[in-house]
Amino acid sequence: MENNHVLVIGGGISGIASALELANGGLSVYLIEKEATVGGYVASFCCKATDVCSNCSVCVVPQRIKEAVTHPQISLLTNSTVQKVSGEVGNFRVEITQKPQYIDAERCIACGLCAEVCPNEPKAIHLPSFEAVPYSYVLDETCCLHFKGEDCNLCRDRCPTNAIDFKRKSKSQELSVTTIIVATGFEVFDAREIGSLGYSRYPNVLTGLDLEEIFNREGTLKLASNGKEPQNIAFIQCVGSRNEEHCYCSQVCCKYAMRFARLIKYQNPSAEVTIFYIDLQTAGKGFAEFYKECKESIRFIPGVPVEVLEAHSGELEVKFENILEGKVNRETFDLVVLSVGIVPRKDSWDSARILGINLGDEGFFDAKPFDFNETNVEGIFLAGTCQGPKDIPDSIAHGMAAAKRAMEVLARCK
Amino acid sequence: MQVRIGIFICNCGKSLNNIDFPKVKERVEKFQDVVYVDLSPTLCLKEGREGMLSAIRERDVNRVVIAACSPELKENVFGKALEEAGLNYNFLSMANIREQCSWAHEGDVTEKALELVRMAANKARFLQPVEKKDISVNKEILVVGGGFSGMKSALELSGLGLRTTLVERESALGGKLGEFEGFYGIETTPEEMLSSTRKAVEENGDIKVLTSAEITRVEGQAGDFTVRIRTGEKQVSQSFGAIIFATGYVTKILPQDFELKPEVNIISQRKLVDMLQAPERLERRPGTIGFVLDVSDENSRLPILFTLNNALAVKERLGSEVYVFCKSLKVDSEGVEKLYREARERGVVFLKFEEKPRISKEDGRVKVEARDVLLGEEVTLLCDFLVAEEKVLPPEGTEALSSMLNIRTDSRGFYQDENVHLYPVASERKGIFFVAGCKGDLDFTRTSTDISSAAMSIYKLLSPEKAIVEVEKVKVEPEKCRACLTCVRVCPHGAIQMVRVDTEKEVAKIYDHACDGCGICAAICPAKAIRFEGYADEQILAEVEAIGESL
Amino acid sequence: MNGEDNKIVAFCCEHSAYPVANKAGRMRLHYPDNVRIICVPCAGRVDVQHILKAFEKGAAGVLVMGCQEGACQHLTGNTRAKERVKYTESLLKEVGIDGGRVRMVNLAPDMAQRFIDEVKEMAEKIEGR
Repeated sequence: MENNHVLVIGGGISGIASALELANGGLSVYLIEKEATVGGYVASFCCKATDVCSNCSVCVVPQRIKEAVTHPQISLLTNSTVQKVSGEVGNFRVEITQKPQYIDAERCIACGLCAEVCPNEPKAIHLPSFEAVPYSYVLDETCCLHFKGEDCNLCRDRCPTNAIDFKRKSKSQELSVTTIIVATGFEVFDAREIGSLGYSRYPNVLTGLDLEEIFNREGTLKLASNGKEPQNIAFIQCVGSRNEEHCYCSQVCCKYAMRFARLIKYQNPSAEVTIFYIDLQTAGKGFAEFYKECKESIRFIPGVPVEVLEAHSGELEVKFENILEGKVNRETFDLVVLSVGIVPRKDSWDSARILGINLGDEGFFDAKPFDFNETNVEGIFLAGTCQGPKDIPDSIAHGMAAAKRAMEVLARCK
Repeated sequence: MQVRIGIFICNCGKSLNNIDFPKVKERVEKFQDVVYVDLSPTLCLKEGREGMLSAIRERDVNRVVIAACSPELKENVFGKALEEAGLNYNFLSMANIREQCSWAHEGDVTEKALELVRMAANKARFLQPVEKKDISVNKEILVVGGGFSGMKSALELSGLGLRTTLVERESALGGKLGEFEGFYGIETTPEEMLSSTRKAVEENGDIKVLTSAEITRVEGQAGDFTVRIRTGEKQVSQSFGAIIFATGYVTKILPQDFELKPEVNIISQRKLVDMLQAPERLERRPGTIGFVLDVSDENSRLPILFTLNNALAVKERLGSEVYVFCKSLKVDSEGVEKLYREARERGVVFLKFEEKPRISKEDGRVKVEARDVLLGEEVTLLCDFLVAEEKVLPPEGTEALSSMLNIRTDSRGFYQDENVHLYPVASERKGIFFVAGCKGDLDFTRTSTDISSAAMSIYKLLSPEKAIVEVEKVKVEPEKCRACLTCVRVCPHGAIQMVRVDTEKEVAKIYDHACDGCGICAAICPAKAIRFEGYADEQILAEVEAIGESL
Repeated sequence: MNGEDNKIVAFCCEHSAYPVANKAGRMRLHYPDNVRIICVPCAGRVDVQHILKAFEKGAAGVLVMGCQEGACQHLTGNTRAKERVKYTESLLKEVGIDGGRVRMVNLAPDMAQRFIDEVKEMAEKIEGR
């Protein structure tokens, strides 16, 4: 087979894992990412170690990201999406569209001079994050004055490398690839869907994702309401999982809740932490010992809270059924964390249609039974959470497995 | 050869305003061995690189110092530029005057910037070239363990064009798949899956099967492991490029955990499956079958996986009443939540306890007493059979194997160590992998991805075209080596071995393909006989010396 | 701040501490400018002689910064570094350099604030001596 190109759709950890395996195995990879930066959700997550590692696996990611973006055999296309797929295994033709690159990431040196002169507040030109890869500025068209019709070219004129050009257009290209790996990832369950739990109504109700971002940015947890460390924290498990609409366990929530609980206690030993659960997921390498330690300092209450309300004191009152005692209790906390689960992306329907692959009952892409990577289309494979909930190590493994499937196709053709 | 240092300073589009660049240029021009200094606003972009390239050529620069942004961003770009200019990529020394200087401090940081450049220049003086080379590797793979995972590993490797030798301790291939009665919702039975896999292995010309065979010795490193295999009386040595261990697990009912009286008869999942496969042999149809979990180990996925599949089979084949006693259901595997709901719909009753159930005998049946937390009541159940939870344990010989391989196990005795960098299937020794049950827990998805990840990792390691290594990046200088074996013992990656240099002397040798570049050996060698190019003692010390050095 | 004998040498592991110092810079989290960072492939590369040389050449404090315990890519690198730092501490005490002026720090690549806190703490110890 002449062509030895593989397309990986999605630059999160699974996509990166697939791309690296293939590239290191001698193939050429197109890595397509919808956003301006790669790394997916995990790039904004935090380390949860106390005085020892708690095995969250967030730190295995930065190195892989760096390897992928500098690998000579991986062509990274950010701000790009797949519009059309035709052909068949061995010879897929894929139409990719890249959003207008008003800032050329190859010429942006991240000096920040553009942001200095941007008259907007908040700045319309900014860095996506402090860990962004590629480390390049991006333009927010929704608040940029130039795009609102004003004659503002301050950033363009200030840029020392002429990286900015408002006249750029979106670009399309057709890629010819032998196989396709779909690694489009997941979304986090929107906790607002369960109104009774108070998310977005009360500032001191947060989700697990919020905690990741807070610890990543600040290193410690302070209440939004008064800037102090919380003293009495409740974690509520299975928010958006194991219910009628999402009939599966999200696999990550019990673990992240316990790791955060331990981290909070480590930083503030006088804090009280309570975890409300249905079934505690404690399997996995090294977790049994961790769980044993958790039992010593964290309250575990079987029972799922039904309501979070604001108490007179300004604290949060949680109404829950304590299964062990068989009655309904109310307790107050100053912080409530909703352990939200993994749900399929809202745009999976679109992607499924473009690729011609099936969606399973839960809305994730469907893999063949006992295969886990293979779709109904020969030559298109699934990697990571787009196929179903997984934690970081499993997402990486699944990405590697998808790469192997793609490799097999090419090995067969030789 | 005379060192001729070229120093290229970038002011990042003239944005680094708290550094007096002309002053820096003026001062670094006076450093020893410096033959050229230049300032650029955009060194990493084409125009900057081109300027650098011509300067290197014209001024015969042979060591390059770049003072700019963090090496993580542009090191590979600059490395390529050096190669284009005819220099080895390792002759590059970078000073981070942006993220770790200009951006990190308030006020003028010219003095610090100067010192950082001096540190980089000092180091540059001692840089040596590093070459890359293709090395030949053995592409035969060894798979240890002839159960389903081992067989599947061998088949997947064959699918990638790699030949394997499959070694099994017992007299036949097989493993534990037979302990499942069926996979609920799937037509293929475990028996069928097992026999078709076995057939595929036996018919596959790329797979050599050795039964009643054991590994007795493993030496060497990735690309060239020498393994001694014993079959009966015979022992043979063979070379392999990589090894997959699929040695599985064993399960045991631990009666002491259930506080059983000796006459109480509890059965294993295997026994239940035997019953289900030949129900006509039973004296009478069992009216009630109970399962009890989370007594020996509340942190394992296996018991619930077996229980759900087998409970549904009981409902289908025997129509008995089925009760499951558990503490916390492990549903964090694909499809298990659905299986659990299906079981409930089919009438399997789940009872949750906080305290261990009490198990005794009554009227020839097994009595289980527990407080069901959901009902809030004491429940007493009389079962015809009670299927007891089996604790998952490492198979016999794991400890011996672990010391033979010099690979750590986790705190429960399973492979591998809990270190997150080893997930999913790697070990601290490059080229040695562990899949599925021998890691301590199991479910279908994870087993399948383990096997495929290991296959892909091996393919990548022994890449069909060539394996490229950095030659002697970390090297033992044989004249200095005193054969104390410290480095051999200390290397976490098993990359160092003793080799004979003549009739009298053995020295340590670092194998490039296995070395992971940590430098622990270089730090610990009492004779300072190990040189780590790029981080050699003289290079690190030169950087340290630059601090506080006056002109 | 760049006078004699008050430098802080920070040996930073390329996987955790070096990137985290970069993150601190990107966030414009300021710290004292007497810090000199030396990149190492693993905290386990740092030898006692490197630390002693730092003090000899004008450092008033040395930080050895590596990955979290249990998360070292090379398994034992950071624990070896910890032992060496402890040993060096006892050596330094004998020549009158004490008060925690050589220290082992374990962190992850996202922990910018932690990096700042450790450096500032060391800077205070130096000033206070």
